[in-house]
Amino acid sequence: MLSEIVFYVNDKKTVFSGNPLTRLIDVLRDDLHLTGVKEGCGEGECGACSVLKDGKLVTSCIIPVGAVNGSHIYTIEGIRDTEKGKCIVDAFVEGGAVQCGFCIPGMVMAAYALLESNPHPDDEAIRQGISGNICRCTGYDLIVESIKLASERGGALWEK
Amino acid sequence: MPATGINDRIVRVDAAAKARGEAKYACDYTFPDMLYAYMIRSSIPRGTIDSIDMPNLPEGYYFISAKDIPPEGKNELWMIAKDWRCFADGDVRFVGETIGLLVGPDRNMLKYLSEHIEIKYTEMEPAISINDAIALKGGPIVGSDNVMCQLFVEKGKPMEEVFREADSVFEETIETGFQEHVHLETNAAIATIEDGKYTIYASAQCPFYISKAVAGLLGLEQKDIVIKQTTTGGAFGGKEHFPDVLCGPLLVAEYKIRKPIKLIFDREEDMLYSVKRHPSKITLKTALDKDGNILGIDGLVYYNGGPYLSGTYVVLQRGVFHANGVYDIPNTYVKGIGIATNTFPSDAFRGFGAPQTLFAIETHMEHIAKKFGFDPAEYKSRYFLKKDSETITNGHIIERVMLPEMLEKVATASDYWRKSKEYKTGEGRGIGISFYNHGGAFTGNGEQAIIKAHARLVKTGDRVRIEVGSTEMGQGFQTTLRKIAAATLGISIEQIDYDNPDTSKVPDSGPTAASRSTMIVGRLVQRCGEEMKERWNEGDFSVEKEYEHPEGHPWNQETFRGDAYLGYGWGCAAVEVEADKLTNEIKVVGIWSCHDIGHAIDELIVHGQVNGGIVQSLGYASMEKMENRKGYFKQTSMSDYVIPTSMDFPKQEWSLVENPYEWGPFGAKGMGELVFNGADAAYIDAVERALGITVHKIPMPPEDIEEALDAE
Amino acid sequence: MGEMIYVPTTLEEALQIRKETGARPLAGGSDIMVQGKRGIGLCPELPYSVMIISGLDELKGITASEDGSVTIGALATPSEIASSSIVPWHVRKAASGMGAIALRNTATIGGNIGNASPKGDLPQPLILLDAYLVLASERGERTISVDDFIIGAKKTALMDDEIIKSVVIPHSSFTYSYYRKIGMRRANAISKLSLSAAMTVQNGEITDFRASSGAAGPKVIRSRSAEDIIRGRKIDEIPSLKEDFLSAWNDAISPHAMPEYRRHTTRRMLEYFLDEISRGAEPGIIGEE
Repeated sequence: MLSEIVFYVNDKKTVFSGNPLTRLIDVLRDDLHLTGVKEGCGEGECGACSVLKDGKLVTSCIIPVGAVNGSHIYTIEGIRDTEKGKCIVDAFVEGGAVQCGFCIPGMVMAAYALLESNPHPDDEAIRQGISGNICRCTGYDLIVESIKLASERGGALWEK
Repeated sequence: MPATGINDRIVRVDAAAKARGEAKYACDYTFPDMLYAYMIRSSIPRGTIDSIDMPNLPEGYYFISAKDIPPEGKNELWMIAKDWRCFADGDVRFVGETIGLLVGPDRNMLKYLSEHIEIKYTEMEPAISINDAIALKGGPIVGSDNVMCQLFVEKGKPMEEVFREADSVFEETIETGFQEHVHLETNAAIATIEDGKYTIYASAQCPFYISKAVAGLLGLEQKDIVIKQTTTGGAFGGKEHFPDVLCGPLLVAEYKIRKPIKLIFDREEDMLYSVKRHPSKITLKTALDKDGNILGIDGLVYYNGGPYLSGTYVVLQRGVFHANGVYDIPNTYVKGIGIATNTFPSDAFRGFGAPQTLFAIETHMEHIAKKFGFDPAEYKSRYFLKKDSETITNGHIIERVMLPEMLEKVATASDYWRKSKEYKTGEGRGIGISFYNHGGAFTGNGEQAIIKAHARLVKTGDRVRIEVGSTEMGQGFQTTLRKIAAATLGISIEQIDYDNPDTSKVPDSGPTAASRSTMIVGRLVQRCGEEMKERWNEGDFSVEKEYEHPEGHPWNQETFRGDAYLGYGWGCAAVEVEADKLTNEIKVVGIWSCHDIGHAIDELIVHGQVNGGIVQSLGYASMEKMENRKGYFKQTSMSDYVIPTSMDFPKQEWSLVENPYEWGPFGAKGMGELVFNGADAAYIDAVERALGITVHKIPMPPEDIEEALDAE
Repeated sequence: MGEMIYVPTTLEEALQIRKETGARPLAGGSDIMVQGKRGIGLCPELPYSVMIISGLDELKGITASEDGSVTIGALATPSEIASSSIVPWHVRKAASGMGAIALRNTATIGGNIGNASPKGDLPQPLILLDAYLVLASERGERTISVDDFIIGAKKTALMDDEIIKSVVIPHSSFTYSYYRKIGMRRANAISKLSLSAAMTVQNGEITDFRASSGAAGPKVIRSRSAEDIIRGRKIDEIPSLKEDFLSAWNDAISPHAMPEYRRHTTRRMLEYFLDEISRGAEPGIIGEE
């Protein structure tokens, strides 16, 4: 039995000893002040709270903290200053992907997970890759273009 | 730093902070000693409150309700009228009506307390649909006939005469449903006291609307309440008047408690207990000659307003003024009625009443064309409004209308004429087309008579600060307005500052609504800039300007006659679909559009608005079904009220025509709403052709298509 | 306030907690966390104790056996299932169409079966393939078919001391396969309706024929008596048997007040599958673009 949950957020060791059913998003936002993680729906439907758990895209609003023992979690704060993170953020900014911005940190995480597994996706693969991230503003076209831009510009970066 | 030109490709000023997760939305604010609030709402659609039994409140917890409004205050939110109460008192008129606010330090405790409040009601029979309201089900909610507001417009000859001359009459009723905004950021606000003044941080479109709406609750004046807009995660009209409903109770709580108090709706609350687009029921009766030429249209437009007026009268006016679409119909009589029901009050949503009537007229025209064997695009184009055409309000179209050029562009890009001819009805593939417009800014002389917008530029050294009440909510205004200022002043956009508005620091430049910001406020900033540029060497100074209405364009707000809008945005969209005959699922395979927005201040921002508006419109027509059963919305979450994902619609082809607008900055007109106004009708036209059905309502998910097929 | 929450680290420990407290397993959390959702900043609450079993290695992995069957650990996610070449096509197809990517990385096959939602995506193809579950308890292990395990909407035959350990899919080899899910939109959607069908043909004789309907009633529907109308007959008899079969299937799914759309669409899809075969379709997947 675990009496405390030990995990890593943006490479920082985190020890949690409260109710293991506590939503990961609340630990990230309220305890760790990682407010780039946004709550859009609270039931895993919109993707605004997307983070990487052991390299995989997950929605932090439906993950109990008890399920992340030993895991490595990355939020937008943990990737935005990495070479890959910057590549995506810059492409989003230049490509006109951002409007109200509330879905965007989660969208960047989805793009990151996609390019990590598929460095040069076609339009269809990009649309698949962000299909769990709802955006009400853009109609998605410029987000898709921006991810393509990040893929092209990052080049070999994504093959590492 | 090089000067920024109006046509330079630049990046949005707010994009990096948002993409990096650094932008602070209302939910991201915390203050020392901050308390949380939880809204207690009516759980029945109509009735009287017999008793409210509260559990014992632990120390530091409060229940704020109508009784907490001081004697000098009034329990009303001043929107357009003052009928929407801050707190229900005595009776309730819709599910979700605010009864009180629980306030305290721990959210768990608030939730626990909320589950232990017992409210007893005597229930009355509610009226939910427009038909219920017309039938006075449960007795009238408003007045003696549930009519909250009404108006009519007429053009040409009396209808009796027109219909007497007709060879045939084509009549149909077209209905549209509720639509929920689903801005990704839910509604949120925080009340506090700063420098001795009540201060509210709010996710909002119109900060000055809030201070106006809530000040009277404490018997104060608008200037006594400071509103600070926080980065706003989408609005679409859903944060035009509705933030008043959060901020009113918060202000009363602040008056009692005097600590920072935060109220955030979770998605379920935002879905169930917020305003929606007005459902409509529109009957169009058209007199035709033997060749299918239109002699006149008699229209009756009902909008379901809910029990409080909120924006309904203004929404209805815009609906009626757009009821002839982009067509010069020789004789018209259109009556509009805003009817009261016991559903959550309907209010602003991108398009503001125009989408409903535009969908109706587009679909109606298309049905007439098909009945007489004409191609819908060809038939509709015979009636296109032109410069100097008489409008439905007996005014005139002031600008050049480029619809023929726009049709040409869209038809070429989409190969419309060939496809329209070759795709046989009912064989699974169809292309549809629509035409639409949107009158820019407030109706008639409203900008001068009601809004009296102001804007100010403040020069300090070589930097210039824009001071306006207009807000960024995702549409790109922080960038657009800076660009207008920079290009006017001949300086770099980097030298321009423009913060989220704080009502104590900026002049009221009117609401961020009605596609007016670029056209009206942008023009004001341009005028300020022109003067500032001439006086640039005078040191530090500021320039403030007030809106001036162009001469010679009369409007009568009593009779609704005259030039309703000085400039329109115009649009043409084509949509191609494939229908799966096994499942009746519709796959959109092509979307083409062309818009006249005068001149685009920033093409990249316009591109995003076009894409987003069209996808919202396609969602409205296809999948966004919000049903109300006995007063309760059936869809409660983003899994049962679905909006489009990246997989639902293909990449769009889009274009613009250049048609500079005399009174807009650099020739720009409004465009934020225009791009929502027509793809729905093009989609339905395409679906009808692909399946050989006739559609009289939206949305049309596969189940409803099945019903329409069965009806054929 | 809430019930007890446990986080066991081994299967042995989990079985002990299960027996002693009756705590229900939470595998990925995608269903339970939504059921217990209370709002922003609030810990979910459930009317029962929960044990979070996400970390149990004994319940992970996908393996093939010599007899051709495939064993999928209860904690396998739809993403893992969809990308495993040893998992039968119908199941992979259903797994790849479940929710969105993040959900497919979070949900588990054990949870999807144990939750027994009529709209669950995986039970439907599993029931088509006669899959069964290995249930573990301190008393040992037992097996039960997925069809018998799911009793109705949100009701299962799981005993108070048991947890789902794995899912076993027996070997099958079909000449023709069909799968279709109709969601509320083209991605990230809950199922409105789903259908699987499969047929094996040898020398013109239909040696195997099956179908299963998901989201059509309180549980997945398979009607072996309806299947028997086709099974064992000759392929050129399909046109003459089709109506009887479709009508029998309609009777099997219709007792519940089912929306016309779902009933008619199911019928059209089954008819299409049979027509394509009658027409001499190439062996393989029917209706795949």
